Amino acid sequence: MTATVAGLDSVTNDQVTAARATWAAFRRNPLGMISVGILVLLVIVAACAPLIAAYPTGYGDQVLQAPSGAHWFGTDNLGRDIFAEVVWGARLSIVIAALSSALAIAIGVVVAVLGAYFPKVDSIVGTVVDLCLSLPVLPLMILVAALAGPSLVTLVLVIAFFSWPEVTRVVRSQALSVVRLPYMDAARLTGGSSIWIIRKHLLPAVAPVIVVSVVLTASRAVLSAAGLAFLGLGDPTSWSWGRILYEAQQSGAMQSAWWTTLFPSLAMLALVVSATLISIAYNDARNPRARED
Amino acid sequence: MTQVVRFTARRLGRALLTVWFAVTVTFLLLRLLPGDPALAVASPNMTPEARLELLRQYGLDEPLLVQYGKYLWQLLHGNLGISFARQVPVSDVLMERLPWTLLLTFSSLLVTVAVGIPLGVLAATRPRGFLDRFTQVGGVIGQSLFVPSVGIFLLFFLGLKLHLLPIGGSYSPGVYGPAWYLDVLKHLILPCLSLMLVQLGSYVLTLRSTLIDALGEDYCVLARAKGMPNRKVVWKHALRNALLPTTTLVGLQLGYLVGGAVLTETVFAYPGIGRGIYEAVTQLDFPVLQGAFVLLAVTVVIANMLTDLTYGVLDPRVRTA
Repeated sequence: MTATVAGLDSVTNDQVTAARATWAAFRRNPLGMISVGILVLLVIVAACAPLIAAYPTGYGDQVLQAPSGAHWFGTDNLGRDIFAEVVWGARLSIVIAALSSALAIAIGVVVAVLGAYFPKVDSIVGTVVDLCLSLPVLPLMILVAALAGPSLVTLVLVIAFFSWPEVTRVVRSQALSVVRLPYMDAARLTGGSSIWIIRKHLLPAVAPVIVVSVVLTASRAVLSAAGLAFLGLGDPTSWSWGRILYEAQQSGAMQSAWWTTLFPSLAMLALVVSATLISIAYNDARNPRARED
Repeated sequence: MTQVVRFTARRLGRALLTVWFAVTVTFLLLRLLPGDPALAVASPNMTPEARLELLRQYGLDEPLLVQYGKYLWQLLHGNLGISFARQVPVSDVLMERLPWTLLLTFSSLLVTVAVGIPLGVLAATRPRGFLDRFTQVGGVIGQSLFVPSVGIFLLFFLGLKLHLLPIGGSYSPGVYGPAWYLDVLKHLILPCLSLMLVQLGSYVLTLRSTLIDALGEDYCVLARAKGMPNRKVVWKHALRNALLPTTTLVGLQLGYLVGGAVLTETVFAYPGIGRGIYEAVTQLDFPVLQGAFVLLAVTVVIANMLTDLTYGVLDPRVRTA
């Protein structure tokens, strides 16, 4: 089906790019599109938090109320509306995920591409990445976050700093196979500078892998941030999904009021599952063989 | 034989390098970050003399390289410093907790593999069947789960609502003899199950795809052509090769598993290193946090090395690579 559509396009338009073919295939994947929908919805909720719910602050007298018309997700042990907490929590969780994954991707891609392009650097890069990946990351993040003091900046830096080796591992293996291709030699023969070759020829070739990395790193960052917040190392001044769980655990509310933990957990699950499904759908859409099915 | 020795030696060298790396990263973090525990001890209200005396006591007036050397020397002797909160050696605090963490992580790994292999085989032998779709969806969701969420829900339903299992701790006080072991096992089930649920997905998905590949290989086609029963082809021939990448996965997931254990222990008040980390965070007990990381890193490195050595035994090609 796609083949015919793509064929027609190339006749009429003659400009069917790989990106458009990928997008066409992606659009036909219901799971991928639903995931995009969920992700967009969560981002809108995060961006418009003040319009959706009042900032959960102060103490209400309706303590630990089950979900109702007045409080959709119920209230916590201090009488705060959990729906508002989840909505505002989306904001911080998504901001942390976006910033830390952007930083991790930037570091990871630069290291990977430089390593793949300059063989002398590569043995060091390979070793460092292997070393980093074989350490238990969460205890290390905990140590650093505790030393630096919990704040938004700390969380972003800590998560980014311990996530880039995974990005490098994935991007590097792709870049290493690209560097050996003949067109890279041709690019070198034209006398272009290394930076120009990397920017114009190497980076575009690894771009699809980077796209997948962005999505997966961001979703893992959500879980890492929640993990740190759950241990009491989140930003104490703003709401995050991890902090809702942390407070439910600290106050013992989780033992009697299921709604204090269910809704933030579902929000997190929705975000991470949709990100994962998007990366799977994108990989399938990009792969011409999978498209034929 | 010499090949095996050389392989083992090389792997041991890598393990030592990794431990050195972990320790060095820790040292640099401690010295460079604002919350430097030793500087925190030296409060700004002190007289300069008292402060200097304290710095000297902690060896902080010496050049960084000398400090580093002393730090390594202390670690080699198993000295991880003194806990701020309890005023006892960090190694004592952690060593009484380590067995529980080892019990939890190891048992969850065993259960995951024991459940994951049959599930992966069933999914791979009937690709696109109901069970296959189910494991694929379940695998993706499983990988996306937040460990504490899983723990909290198991605790809530199985522990608090149905009263099937204890909700926290690792054993009940006042239970001795054979009953104690049963009690420990009961306390282990929920944390172990939580860790299994978050790990299972990646094992099943990996095994499924490698097994499908293996079943398409010539030697499996030949085995089938000989008239060998399908079940035997899968379990005797294909699975053996498909299990190798799964073995690698164990090594790759160890660090993640330890992180999951830290969170799980926090949920279930399980007295392992993870719960110790949680308590150390609330008390800002930096020496314990540092020691916990170093100890967990060493544990992971050793476990990883054992996995690789097993792999080397299973697959002769690895030894020469």
